[in-house]
Amino acid sequence: MALTNPLRISAVGVRGIVGPGLRACHVLDFGAAFGTFLDKRGKVVIGRDPRASGVMIREGVVASLLASGHDVVDLGIVSSPVIQHSIRRLGAVGGVSIGASHNSAEWNALKFFGANATYLSSGEAGELLDIYHLRKFEFKDWTEIGRLESDSTAIDHYLDELASVFDLGRLARFRVLIDSTNGTSSLLLHRMNERFGTNFIIINQKLEGRAFVHEPATNKAMVALQLAPLMRHVNADAGFLFDIDSDRVALATETGEAVSEEMVLPLLADHALATGTGKLIITNLSTTALLEEIAAKRGGLVVRVPVGRQAAIDALSSYRPEEVAVAGEGTGAVMMPQFRFVYDGIASMLGILTILDTRATTLSRLLASYPAYSILKGEIPLATRRVPTLFLDLERKYSDAVQNRHDGLRADWPGKWFHVRVSQTEPIVRIICEQKGEPPRALFEELMDFVRSYSA
Amino acid sequence: MSRAHQLKIGVSGIRGVVGEFLTPSLAASFAQAFGTYVGPGRVVLGRDTRSTGEMLEHAVACGLLAAGCEVVKVGILPTPTIQVYVAATGARGGLAVTASHNPPEYNALKLFNGEGLFFNHYERSELLELYHQSQFQHATNSEIRFVREDYASAPQRHFELVLKHVDAEAIRRRRFKVALDGVNGAGSLMSVRFLRDVLGCELHAISVDPTKPFPREAEPRPEVLGDLAALVRDNGCAIGFAQDPDGDRLAVADETGRVLDNDDVLAMAVDCVLGRSPGPVVVNLTTSSVIDDVAARHKCPVYRAPVGEANVVDRMQAVKAVIGGEGSNGGIIFPGVQYCRDSYTGMAFLLDRLAATGMTTSQLHAQLPRYYRSMGKKPFAHGHLGVIMQGLQQKFPEALADRTDGLKLLFPDSWIHVRASNTEPILRYAVEAKSEARLNDLVDKVNRLL
Repeated sequence: MALTNPLRISAVGVRGIVGPGLRACHVLDFGAAFGTFLDKRGKVVIGRDPRASGVMIREGVVASLLASGHDVVDLGIVSSPVIQHSIRRLGAVGGVSIGASHNSAEWNALKFFGANATYLSSGEAGELLDIYHLRKFEFKDWTEIGRLESDSTAIDHYLDELASVFDLGRLARFRVLIDSTNGTSSLLLHRMNERFGTNFIIINQKLEGRAFVHEPATNKAMVALQLAPLMRHVNADAGFLFDIDSDRVALATETGEAVSEEMVLPLLADHALATGTGKLIITNLSTTALLEEIAAKRGGLVVRVPVGRQAAIDALSSYRPEEVAVAGEGTGAVMMPQFRFVYDGIASMLGILTILDTRATTLSRLLASYPAYSILKGEIPLATRRVPTLFLDLERKYSDAVQNRHDGLRADWPGKWFHVRVSQTEPIVRIICEQKGEPPRALFEELMDFVRSYSA
Repeated sequence: MSRAHQLKIGVSGIRGVVGEFLTPSLAASFAQAFGTYVGPGRVVLGRDTRSTGEMLEHAVACGLLAAGCEVVKVGILPTPTIQVYVAATGARGGLAVTASHNPPEYNALKLFNGEGLFFNHYERSELLELYHQSQFQHATNSEIRFVREDYASAPQRHFELVLKHVDAEAIRRRRFKVALDGVNGAGSLMSVRFLRDVLGCELHAISVDPTKPFPREAEPRPEVLGDLAALVRDNGCAIGFAQDPDGDRLAVADETGRVLDNDDVLAMAVDCVLGRSPGPVVVNLTTSSVIDDVAARHKCPVYRAPVGEANVVDRMQAVKAVIGGEGSNGGIIFPGVQYCRDSYTGMAFLLDRLAATGMTTSQLHAQLPRYYRSMGKKPFAHGHLGVIMQGLQQKFPEALADRTDGLKLLFPDSWIHVRASNTEPILRYAVEAKSEARLNDLVDKVNRLL
């Protein structure tokens, strides 16, 4: 994905290309703003992914948090879910994750968590941004300055929790091929093999700071390239590909088929509706309509929100946790109530293996039991000033569809829908089109042409 | 206290009250300027025991990494030990997070070049220019280097250098009873190891817990060393040592618990070195004439430099001095170990003298010619400095005037030195005379004028 601006400051935190975009001064100021934002003094848990720039950023975040009077617990290289787990375990007042997830190696980012161990709500994130922009930071004097400690037990405590939710002893019977993309998942899965005898065979397992062996994209194309061709060779029951901080996952079947990343959420949603108390599936407008079909069969309900993590977080906060079955998006990022609504690729993988175990089936057979949907995705650059007219005209043109205008336009017909929206990060319009059965080529091309006519 | 000196960014680096004034982002920017200045190589980073040291160490590491430097963290160490380490390991430079003898609410960055020397005037000006331009290197993910930790090897390197210049075996044989006040500073653990394990002394130590705050005023002035004096007397020690928080300054008590004048301690060290290898001596303008007398005994020349370690070191290198120092600042600079003020060299030299002469500390001290000294400081209003200096010179037309650093007025049996502090808006004055009466007379006159 080509991102045009090297620095992005928004409600989800700060993200940028280290050097030309994201710099020490941003890190220190955001650290100080977060330290000031957390009005209760206490421990703040931090961790990072293996990017080389992560050490520079850690040093800055540590300095600012200590200066604002918080004690810092550094977990070292871990995934975000481990940080979030440790926030609860240690009774911390917040946490910071240093890592750029599915972005390429030259990027890095800061993600912030509150005392409840979840991402900041829009209101909280806005307040953090205001403090950052005002640069009125509260620093403590020498008598109240914070202390730093490190904690190397965090991964084990997190695995203990996974073991209490999933029957790892039973899941050990699966031979699972993993592509760690040089990211944090290899640390966790190695340890799981050691402690629980699970059978994860890991490729690209070396933590890498400067250049990942391939782009950390969790999609069908990457699985087809990296993972699927190996499946038969190692005789694996399932294959999973993780991004750098293992919040997203993509999969391959035992027959060597790459699976659409869109399928992760439906599989887990179906299982959660069948086994749990929650009835709501929270997802965005760009995600597959298979979810509605599953929900209808299981007596659940799909709640569609705008694209982006922040919208999902805000939606989650308006329901009681036990009402929610699962939340996630078509990118392979899924949050489960058992795990405090954190995007967690490892938990998602264990969830899918549990389905295979309880239904005594194979991944290819499980996938074949769902009706096929075909999705087409495209993008077209468009000047921002043209956007309002485009959407007015789209609404008029497709007035026969059920329309949702919360994030661009989503138009639904029985067995077919499209979603046209403006990217939050680039001046482009994204077009997504899905149909039950065959790909909706005609509709897709019509939409692409229509949008293109506005960019002239 | 005015806000003016709660933060000072100038040619002596960056210093201030941590929190409201000295912030992590200021420290990181300054470090990034430093890293840009020395270039993308190894930079050594250490600190003293101040509670704010850990925070600033991380801020400095952030700035250095962002500039593309590799950071070698050496942890809590005395400043001279860090300087020795920088010079010995071929690093591009070094930083010590320490406000030396300043109160605990302060902290500062001391800057060293690749030879482990304090930045000289030109280096400091260039660095400051870079800082003010904000034209820093911003390393990308492929250029950013890493943090290495070496918390173990530095003290040994330092000890080995010091021991080359004293008769360690003779010191060990005497099994001296030694008292130590480490002010819970950066030298706490290392000094215990040096005196007890390396030099075989029977050590009686207080305030050697680096996790605790300073138990006394950080500057080892005689007035605050009562506990050391008592420790010496209660245990019948031959000598007592007190350090400042970053272990560059040394104060010495004799076997009666009397804290010796720092100028006299320097004179004893000078005597020790010149007795072995005669050569030029460099001290600052405020240092006592006792140095001239001791050097004269060995027929060695004495050169004077403006106040400030970097100035003294610059001059020492120029004249190839065998020893130097800053009397009132309790600093002994011995190039055989490193061009820096070093309490470890000082301790070793004094024990060496005790072992070699068989005399007591007070007997050694009694061998020095007697001078009477008085020092003080006064705040002054900006813009009035010139008027004050001119007034002084007019008041003493018979004196020889030296304008190298403030104003030094020389009389046949006495002198007056008045200068503005580099770090605070105050005037420091020092007066020395051969007799107490003359001293009092001069001090009165100076005080009236100021």
